[in-house]
Amino acid sequence: MKLPMSMILSLVETRLSPQEVGDLLTMAGFELEGIESDEAEAVLDLKVMANRGDALSAMGMAREILAKDASAQPTELYRRATGRFESRSFPETSLTTSEITRVEIATPNCTRYAARCFRNVQNGPSPEWLQKILRQAGMRPISLFVDLTNYILLELGQPLHAFDHDRLVEGRIVVRQAREGEKLRTLDGVDHTLRPHQMVIADAERPVAAAGIMGGEETEVSDSTRNVLLESAHFAPSSVRRTRKDLGLNTEASYRFERWVDPDGVVAALDRFAELYAEIVGPSAEIAAGGIDLYPSPARSIQIPFRLDRCRTLLGMELQPDEAETALTRLGMAVDRSQESWSVSIPSWRPDVVREIDLIEEVGRVCGYDRIPEKLPQGSTPLGGTFGPLRLIEQTREVMLRAGFDEIVSHSLRDRHPFDFTSDWRVEVRNPHSPEMRMLRDSLLPGLADAAHRNGLRDLHLFEIGKVFVQGDYQIDESPELAILSTGSLDQPHWAGKELVQADFYSMKGVLERLLATLGLHAEYLPPNDPDRRLHPTRQAGILLDGGKLWAGTFGQIHPDLAEELGLPLGTILAEVDLLVLATEVPAEPRLHDISRNPSIRRDIAVVVEKSVPYRDIEKRIEGACGQILEKHWLFDVYEGPSLPERHHSLAIALQFRKPGENLTDEEANQVRDRAVEALAELGAKLR
Amino acid sequence: MVTLEHIEQSALAAIDEAANTSVLRDLELKYLGKSGEITLLMRDLGKLSAEDRPAFGKAINDARARVERHLEARRAVLKAGEQAEQFASEAIDLTLPGRAPRWGQPHILSQTTQRIKQTFIGMGFEYLESPELEEFRYNFDALNYPPDHPAMDEQDTFYVTDTLLLRTQCTALQGHVFETRKPPLRCFTVGRTFRNEAVDRTHSHTFHQVDAFMIDEGVSMAHLKGTLGAFARAMFGDEVKVRFRPDFFPFVEPGVDYAISTPKLFGGRWVELGGAGLIHPNILEAYGIDSERYSGWAFGLGVERIPMMAYGVDDLRYFLENDRRFLSQFPG
Repeated sequence: MKLPMSMILSLVETRLSPQEVGDLLTMAGFELEGIESDEAEAVLDLKVMANRGDALSAMGMAREILAKDASAQPTELYRRATGRFESRSFPETSLTTSEITRVEIATPNCTRYAARCFRNVQNGPSPEWLQKILRQAGMRPISLFVDLTNYILLELGQPLHAFDHDRLVEGRIVVRQAREGEKLRTLDGVDHTLRPHQMVIADAERPVAAAGIMGGEETEVSDSTRNVLLESAHFAPSSVRRTRKDLGLNTEASYRFERWVDPDGVVAALDRFAELYAEIVGPSAEIAAGGIDLYPSPARSIQIPFRLDRCRTLLGMELQPDEAETALTRLGMAVDRSQESWSVSIPSWRPDVVREIDLIEEVGRVCGYDRIPEKLPQGSTPLGGTFGPLRLIEQTREVMLRAGFDEIVSHSLRDRHPFDFTSDWRVEVRNPHSPEMRMLRDSLLPGLADAAHRNGLRDLHLFEIGKVFVQGDYQIDESPELAILSTGSLDQPHWAGKELVQADFYSMKGVLERLLATLGLHAEYLPPNDPDRRLHPTRQAGILLDGGKLWAGTFGQIHPDLAEELGLPLGTILAEVDLLVLATEVPAEPRLHDISRNPSIRRDIAVVVEKSVPYRDIEKRIEGACGQILEKHWLFDVYEGPSLPERHHSLAIALQFRKPGENLTDEEANQVRDRAVEALAELGAKLR
Repeated sequence: MVTLEHIEQSALAAIDEAANTSVLRDLELKYLGKSGEITLLMRDLGKLSAEDRPAFGKAINDARARVERHLEARRAVLKAGEQAEQFASEAIDLTLPGRAPRWGQPHILSQTTQRIKQTFIGMGFEYLESPELEEFRYNFDALNYPPDHPAMDEQDTFYVTDTLLLRTQCTALQGHVFETRKPPLRCFTVGRTFRNEAVDRTHSHTFHQVDAFMIDEGVSMAHLKGTLGAFARAMFGDEVKVRFRPDFFPFVEPGVDYAISTPKLFGGRWVELGGAGLIHPNILEAYGIDSERYSGWAFGLGVERIPMMAYGVDDLRYFLENDRRFLSQFPG
């Protein structure tokens, strides 16, 4: 809100400079967003909190300055405004407003409606001083009547509207809900078709204004206007808000009505208008005597109990009784201290103050939060930490970093992508900011693909952990996922480097095996029943838990068609793991095995076998044949070449034997090795 | 006796002349080895009379000791020279670049999250999460937003259905916790939030928030200030000061925005960090918590604000673009 300093100074006398006034208001909660100098006078640009409609005027800010600055003094105008301009001094005609017009309220959304009539007006340009102030406040001067309504809006916060009285059918006002399909052209020239939940100001026949928002073009005051009906009203904030949103109109008036306008100031604003009008126009002003004021159920003033001790406890600061009282009274509240629990009367412009805590805030705000000391919480400390699935997510991230993968964080909102997990169960946003961010990601792979492109597509090993969203049968599932993209050399290229190891299916499998082992989970990696269309059909595996029953993810080489479509390297390896599934499993705790002092014996075997024999079968045979004595075994070379039969390869396997508590002999070791070789012969494997 | 003296003299002279340690090894054999000249003299000892034997034996041993000492001294000198030569020939170019191990780069937002977690867990807070795709009631109703209030205008919201939205604030965690737990409570979360806004240097439709709250007996604004002070100092250094300024959020009363200032950063200006306040008693009461007995505070701030302020990141868009040239500037 732009407020000319001159308007503030007409209400308070202060020694503070405009900047100091701005700083003071900032510390009262009304942030100074800038000071402009217009025509050599300062204009404050202040941000007003959404619950403080009362502060959207010079009067509101003056009240705050008086509360915060003990040296500031109210002016005569301020006192008169506080007194609701009851001491008004302008000439009135013998004709009364109620003789000229009639007003009817036919909707509960209008709390109060007052009007006053002005006769034989000459609605030319307003005087220069008035135009200047409006320009400073960022408003366009239009005509005397419009400018004066805007001036009152700035000064008192009460929106007014001037109708061309002669254009109102039957010259009267009905405040009511719109009838379905009624039309209104607002004074910005836009036609609206109205709905019954929208409140209008009507004449005897038709809507002439969207109540509290904008007047109609047909009844707008113009240079030729002879008679004016001036409206000052109070409307239900939620009704104005709804209609304003429907009509797409955001005006100074609707902004204030939405945030509450003081219902007790409705008539005062009309009187202040009349006073200024008489001042400007002089003796020729014809102001109808009295006004119309319909206020079917006046708001009752409320009293709120206030305990100083409670205030001190919650603010956590020292406070003298007189300070607290002064803070409240300066804000226009009446304080009764006759009992231990005070009773505070709340003025009609402060609907935000409804219970004791609100008063405590006011006291703290006015006395200054700078006085609150810093204290660390005491008392009962629950156990701090990260537990359960959230801990598993943290561990997963640690493992991926330790495995040398770079972490990325990408957007949840995106467009459709060939890497989407599903085509049918996507979750879309109803009101996307743009089509490129209309859906919620159901996979992290698109983000990884984007990151790969951004970083040059070479030698990239990336992962992301984040939430993905899939439409289920009854609800939308949101679950944490790990996704990995790996392509190119696993080692940093280096001046002393030899051949660099490239990422492939097995390097990804190794990472996943390490991850699951660290999490204490045992998984099997099996060809999926339902292959992932995004992956190479014969180079992908499912990650299965719980003895192969529980699917936790998929990994493998990218499908060549997708690699081409997305411009990714053919050898790109991808993985997707559902971390929520991992979290459902009970992790195995480490168990100490004794460390044997007896030496181990190693025997290597090299067997030639058909490539179609899965290594898992070979392992099982070896384990079965060797029994307990086989401490561990590992594959250390795979060879294929012209010296071998077609479709065969040679596997070099190391066997490590150990007998706890006993030294193995070479003979024993050889016997066990021979058993392994015999067992492998059943798979068609021959010793090389 | 002449022979012994002669042998010793020639041994000492030869040792002096030895050019390197391998010559010394030969001399050691020649004079002191099993068949060395001095060793052999001992065999002749038997030929002497019993009274001459001790004196001659002693003379041989003394000579032997002198030769040994001389040899060791000379060896030390020669070895030093030889090693110096060897080390010189083995010199490498120390300025060639090191071979980097495989190393995962944590994202700057995660690094910040980890620091935040450490700080709050250290103060006895439990880390929790709640959904990003949130129900309207947790995001607004449970946080004391009156129906259709202008305060919602500040939070342009993405909707998926009438009742499901992308949370606009991590404070939505509160309702989930209050439904299932009783005070005393100290909880916090770090998570993703969404606002339907255009993207530029300082705005994004997607950003991250820390949100923390505690409820206990006698909790005051001073405890809020103390905790925020401790948190801000953990993030920005020991000299940080905290300032409260009144502000409005429906879920806190009194509501403040808090700013920090430190001589090291931002030229000593006050820089706003986030919103905070005492949890509104309406919220406590809605969840059956006795608001006379218990009070609590809550605060929130944008995670991105921390690296932006501490490291001078001046464009919000960098955080979700995943450009290595950006991310690698924060090695973690």
